[in-house]
Amino acid sequence: MAITRRDLILNIAKAGVPAAVAMSGAVKLAQAEEIPVPNTPVGLLYDASLCIGCKACEAACNEANNTPADISGDQLHQAPTDLNVFTRNIIKLYKPEDGSASSFVKRQCMQCLDPACAAGCPFQALYKDSESGVVKWDGGKCIGCRYCTISCPYSVPRFQWAGFNPVITKCELCSHRLAVGLKPGCTSVCPTGAVIFGPRTTILADAKQRIKKNPGRYYQDRVYGETDNGGTQALYLSRVPFEKLGLPEIGPESVPAKTLRWQKRIYSYFALPALLYVGLVGMIRKNLKGHEEEAHQLEKQTGLRAQL
Amino acid sequence: MATAPVGLALTGKKSLLQVASAIGKARRPSVIWLHFQDCTGCTETLLRTSAPDVAHLILDVISLDYHETLMAASGAQAEAALRTAMAENAGKYILVVEGSIPTKDDGVYMQMGGRPAVQVVREVAAQAAAVIAIGSCASWGGVPSADPNPTGAVGVNYVVTGKPIINLPGCPPNPYNLLGVVLEYVTMGKLPALDELGRPLFAYQRVIHENCPRRAHFDAGRFALSYGDEGHRQGWCLYKLGCKGPITHAACSTRHFNEIPGIWPIGCGIPCVGCTEKGVVWSMSTLETVPIHLATPPDTYPPIYSAVGGAKVGAAALVGVVAGVLGGATWVASQRFQSSQEAGLERLASDRSDARKSGAETSRTDED
Amino acid sequence: MSGEKTISATITNPPSKFESITIGKPVNKTRWQRAVPVYGVSVINPFFLVLIALVLLSLVLTVYREIVGLGPASGMNDMFGWGIWKTFNVVVLTAWGSGAFAVGVAAWVFGRKRLHSLMRMALLTSMLAYACGLCLLGVDVGRPWNFYWVIFPWNWNVHSPMAEIAICMSLYASIPLFLENIPPVLERLWHFDPRLRPGVELAERVLHKGFPVIIAAAYLLPAMHQSSLGALMLLAGQRVHPLWQTPFLPLLYVVAAAFMSFGCVAGTTMLCCLFWRRAMDMEVLNEAARITAWTIVGWMAIRLIDLLFRGSLVTAFHFDHYAGIFWTETALISYGGYLLFRSLRDRRTRSMYLGYAFSSLGGMLYRFSPTTLAYMPGPHAMYFPSTIELLIAIGFASAGIAAFLVMVKLFAILPAPAQEWRNMAAYFKLRKPYIGWTKYFNFGFFGDTEPTDSE
Repeated sequence: MAITRRDLILNIAKAGVPAAVAMSGAVKLAQAEEIPVPNTPVGLLYDASLCIGCKACEAACNEANNTPADISGDQLHQAPTDLNVFTRNIIKLYKPEDGSASSFVKRQCMQCLDPACAAGCPFQALYKDSESGVVKWDGGKCIGCRYCTISCPYSVPRFQWAGFNPVITKCELCSHRLAVGLKPGCTSVCPTGAVIFGPRTTILADAKQRIKKNPGRYYQDRVYGETDNGGTQALYLSRVPFEKLGLPEIGPESVPAKTLRWQKRIYSYFALPALLYVGLVGMIRKNLKGHEEEAHQLEKQTGLRAQL
Repeated sequence: MATAPVGLALTGKKSLLQVASAIGKARRPSVIWLHFQDCTGCTETLLRTSAPDVAHLILDVISLDYHETLMAASGAQAEAALRTAMAENAGKYILVVEGSIPTKDDGVYMQMGGRPAVQVVREVAAQAAAVIAIGSCASWGGVPSADPNPTGAVGVNYVVTGKPIINLPGCPPNPYNLLGVVLEYVTMGKLPALDELGRPLFAYQRVIHENCPRRAHFDAGRFALSYGDEGHRQGWCLYKLGCKGPITHAACSTRHFNEIPGIWPIGCGIPCVGCTEKGVVWSMSTLETVPIHLATPPDTYPPIYSAVGGAKVGAAALVGVVAGVLGGATWVASQRFQSSQEAGLERLASDRSDARKSGAETSRTDED
Repeated sequence: MSGEKTISATITNPPSKFESITIGKPVNKTRWQRAVPVYGVSVINPFFLVLIALVLLSLVLTVYREIVGLGPASGMNDMFGWGIWKTFNVVVLTAWGSGAFAVGVAAWVFGRKRLHSLMRMALLTSMLAYACGLCLLGVDVGRPWNFYWVIFPWNWNVHSPMAEIAICMSLYASIPLFLENIPPVLERLWHFDPRLRPGVELAERVLHKGFPVIIAAAYLLPAMHQSSLGALMLLAGQRVHPLWQTPFLPLLYVVAAAFMSFGCVAGTTMLCCLFWRRAMDMEVLNEAARITAWTIVGWMAIRLIDLLFRGSLVTAFHFDHYAGIFWTETALISYGGYLLFRSLRDRRTRSMYLGYAFSSLGGMLYRFSPTTLAYMPGPHAMYFPSTIELLIAIGFASAGIAAFLVMVKLFAILPAPAQEWRNMAAYFKLRKPYIGWTKYFNFGFFGDTEPTDSE
């Protein structure tokens, strides 16, 4: 037993020293690795204090994306209760029971700078566009594993539950309209300007300007999405706490960065697993010899063909 | 009010003065108005206008050269008037057709001066600049074409080809639909933009449902369920009484009739029957509800977190059964381990005592 | 050795009782020396027919699921995107059936030679657990036709735990695990017909040459994907209850897989020996129990220390249903470990078996919780599997059990003393005239050749 353990260590040392040196360099690289920033990130600024809940954005979104309305409720009105395969954005109402300030909230994809959905997608069916930063879905690569629905902290991607060719649906900022110089459907019809579209730098500055001009109007005088979850391209201003509107307080580190750190380090350049493999091969080779000898001995003893 | 109907057709004209001067400048275009299988309702509706009223219309705006209801002449004089008007304004007059045209049995079911309507309309249309089919009958067949359509009644565009045809369906249509078209032609020299059925977009682009004054009730889910009930008296939405508003293209919801706001079917508590649409009026039952093609949100709001999912009795029972079966099997197996081990002990003990009895040496303390 | 006596004894009175005593020193009267097929037992029996019925039912329901989609055929919804197919049949059952990994590592890497006799059982149970789990995974994903992207490495999202699982599990089940399960088949062919022997021996030599490489892969890959199954829920972040969410989730998952799979292999072997009246080798089973018990201790230590250091242990005393689940799984696993220790001391097989049962159940609950029970996507969101979903899951698991019952009779998997092989030879020799109607299921193990005494 002592011999085999020593052999294991020796094997690892033989193969491992150069690999370990390489790995330490790799770990350093991994730590320095930053989230790639898109060239011209675009986004939405939604000011909940301006929203009147007219839901024109819901109807316009369906029209812009050629999606049938979700009339599953009463077969009459487009009344989804949450995002789903027909509903890429939705207006919800936060109405506290004690009668204090209520607020509408428009929920759609947050277009995170470091999206958890793309971090989890096995074959990169969800990816972040390098130009606009919009998180898009590629049906040609998606296997329908629904990991994106589990990993998104905002529960945005929705799976099509009926039918044999299911898709993942979520807001893609009307990329097909952006391509021809139009604005997204929702921002084009908002009557009060509660949701506006623009480059992230511009709308972030706009949001900060609003906060400066109206001190005390907005919750914590901050823009949700500036650094939340590592930064998102859909920014929110609100009078009531963001958590009440269903926007979780995640902190400034993005979900993938926070949770997959060690996973990335251990598998960095596949060095550790390769090292382990080499060690294992050595161990097993050694043990195999002993095993074979014993099997042959047993064969002689019992007179029955050895089972290896 | 005067600019209201014309404003839709005349872009760029800002005031009544400008419109009037523009109209005055134009030469009065010749209009020939033919009646076929009609009820004269479309002419009647023209009498209920005030801007311009019929007198002003036919005396100052257009030259109504042939109109069987309004003209003084009859008989051979009337026919002569028609021929003269056609000859003098060949290629320049507007033909307005009211009523459907029978085509069955060589069109004998409606004849003018012994000649079938089909022949007449083709003759007159041949030299017209444009054809306006006023009313549902002229647009697509109307009442005479209702099942079983014994006369083979059809709209104008079925028998006349090669000419621009503007359809103004409705039973009757709002008179300002016609006035808008006429005035646009008179002042701009062109015809309004049409949809794929030849109907001017300014009047037929949207469905009644989109601009209905009772839309708020629809969005809030307040429906009249029977005539005279509480909801009906309150003026609630008539969708569940079979209102065809969601599938009927017309402007009635914004431009009511007789120039009195609220005087239109739905405003009077009568569900729209879809009088402009072929396949709706006189085809569908008046009580039949229609699908909403572009569903829109109601005035209720979902909460921040909705309830979703839940347990079903059958599934829960199945889980219980499986758990019970597996648990029971495990317990039974464990009992058998117990009993088999005890039996093995007994056997070993009895073997030992047998061996001792028989005097054999047994040192079974350690054995391979 | 009382050879003759034993043969006649076994023919008229097949060994039915496990023999061990608690009086004085422990005695091991049997030693597992080789794997022997289960003979003299018909494959077709009521239990087997029930299993087949469940399998057929689940196949019909699978066709239904493919036609109508996942929604109508399961209880999954927008908030709970994963139902029991992924979270139970894959995350839990492949871990419970990862015996090839845990027992193999103990036997081949840490040199526990006694466990070699359990290897074939471990390999078979693993093969079946993975096969059924991966087939059901194919049913569960919504767009399986895009799975071909797995063969293009440049398309892999290397940081994604899901990618790691998809690639690793497929690779593992199709190559190392499959190759490791071939020796019993080759052995049977060798006995079946002497004309095949040269080919079989060649195949065995080739396989043997590649053993170190194959077996090393067979331990590396499961270590990777069993831990990645834990890393899956890492990405859910705050949506998993703090009693379970921890950076150590991958480690805890892989160690849980280890003690669960020992429970599967040793427990199943004990059960098989009990029902098919085979002798049990207590040295091997004690060794397995010892390893399992200490693994449980280690696992529990990591778990509790992790909870303490993260400060999450407080939530266990909130007395909500999450705390209830935590205490249940902790109690099950701890009690299972305790029973295993007690069985070693008291030499009672019942305690050992129940120890395996409780610890496996607790381990299953532990691995299942972060994916479903402790997953909190929203305050009013609920999930419960639908009847169809349950029937499909049960059917696929039944397929594994049914396949196991057939394999264990066709091939030499279940360990036994060498004498058992000779008993089997004698059985077939005697019953050869009657072998006709059982031949279909026993394949007349020696074929048409007369078995010699040396076989």
